[in-house]
Amino acid sequence: MLWPGLLCAWAMFAQQGHPLTGTWTGDWGTTATKRTQITFVMNWDGKNVTGLINPGPDSIPITSVFVDPTNWTIRIEADTKDKVHIAAEGRLADLGSYHRTISGAWTQGSAKGDFKIARD
Amino acid sequence: MPRMHKAANFAMAGALVVNAWAQHASSITYDNSRKVRLKGPVTRIDWANPHAFFFVNVQDSTGTISNWALEFGNPLDLEKDGWKRSTLHIGDVVTVDAFPARSQAKQAFATSVMLARTGARVFTPANKKALAAAKEPAPRWPDGRVSLGAPAGKKGYWGAASAVALVENAGAKIAMNDEGLLLNLADADRVAPFQPWAKAVYEYRQRTLLKDDPMARCLPPGGPRQFHTANGFQFVEQREVGRILVLMGGGDRNWRAIYTDGRPQGQADEVVRSYYGNSVGHWEKDTLVSDTIGFNEHFWMSTGGLPHTEALHLTERFTRPDLGALNYEVTVDDPRTYTRPWKGGWSVQWVPNEELQEYFCEENVEATFVR
Repeated sequence: MLWPGLLCAWAMFAQQGHPLTGTWTGDWGTTATKRTQITFVMNWDGKNVTGLINPGPDSIPITSVFVDPTNWTIRIEADTKDKVHIAAEGRLADLGSYHRTISGAWTQGSAKGDFKIARD
Repeated sequence: MPRMHKAANFAMAGALVVNAWAQHASSITYDNSRKVRLKGPVTRIDWANPHAFFFVNVQDSTGTISNWALEFGNPLDLEKDGWKRSTLHIGDVVTVDAFPARSQAKQAFATSVMLARTGARVFTPANKKALAAAKEPAPRWPDGRVSLGAPAGKKGYWGAASAVALVENAGAKIAMNDEGLLLNLADADRVAPFQPWAKAVYEYRQRTLLKDDPMARCLPPGGPRQFHTANGFQFVEQREVGRILVLMGGGDRNWRAIYTDGRPQGQADEVVRSYYGNSVGHWEKDTLVSDTIGFNEHFWMSTGGLPHTEALHLTERFTRPDLGALNYEVTVDDPRTYTRPWKGGWSVQWVPNEELQEYFCEENVEATFVR
């Protein structure tokens, strides 16, 4: 019975630092129905954004993140264990919101689709 | 010609109008560029901190009656000006000039309230200057060290700050309103040595009239902001246990500890992150020097929306040259947000013979955010 209250309280604690820092969840896919869940963990170290996709035993290290703060376009690149290249290009929306989002185009090897992730 | 920050321009104009009023109208809530005149009987009075409201039934030209919520200041300030809850009664007919809400809500910020039965304007400011403490020496403890509190047997607290917001170089003249909204957004470069992302975030907060300000949601004013919130602060020096408490009258009315017992500063990666961080202090002659790390990222460290990260490290210097003044200087070191360490500060005026009053942010959140 405490959950509603806890959720309300949690929702108030917006992270106000670098907009990419934190854990993001969502999905990508080649069609509206063929989707794969994804989790990003990103951190700003003062010079670069570093992080992982899908933390755990099969995590994928992010190799580069480019952010243009003039329009908040973002390009994230990574390579899977099998050397499949991932590139996610999108735009950050709702900058001031705790549950801000990044959405755009997703390329994984030869597959092309879209993605959307929201900050947890 | 620099691009004018239009929203702030309106807000600035509004602020000039309503500064004479006890409290300014929040730019994100009220449209200071428009005015409405409302007339009708009072149906309810909320004499509550931090924002007093009264409610009026207003009939439009079609005969439809709407109930308007009218914010008219802070009760503590109003009472200092001699006004009381009983100044207005349920059923009194009033004519109100006000800034309407930006939303469609029947809510406005009153700039003039006239009682129909007497024709008198009520809730006007007394227009008296704040009580200035006499130029007396700073109080001292028996061992000669300066005290940051009231002289023995007297009352008082630290009140208004000389600056609206933290900017690099305290003497820099950067035009902004009471909320820290820049008159000219191009001045952002003069506020602090931002990294590009931080400047973009700061400008976004300015352009959106500070709508996401955590303090407006009653979260604590961490960092330098704690020393320029409404209703002041006071130091409680607990010398026997080696700590100084900073009690805040504004915001959500909480407190911070500065430990002066000689303990070392914690490891930045290990301290539990909080709004006020982990502060250790020492005295350099008559100046209290506080070193603070361990901040969380849930607050804006200054009015106006300065960003920071968990890497924030503050070095604050508190100097009391006489009874009536406190000089606050802070060095901001956050290499993830700013390109170099930088300094800012302001002076704070002593409010003699008064107690820190209760000013609790959440008390009428319903009126300000739910309506």
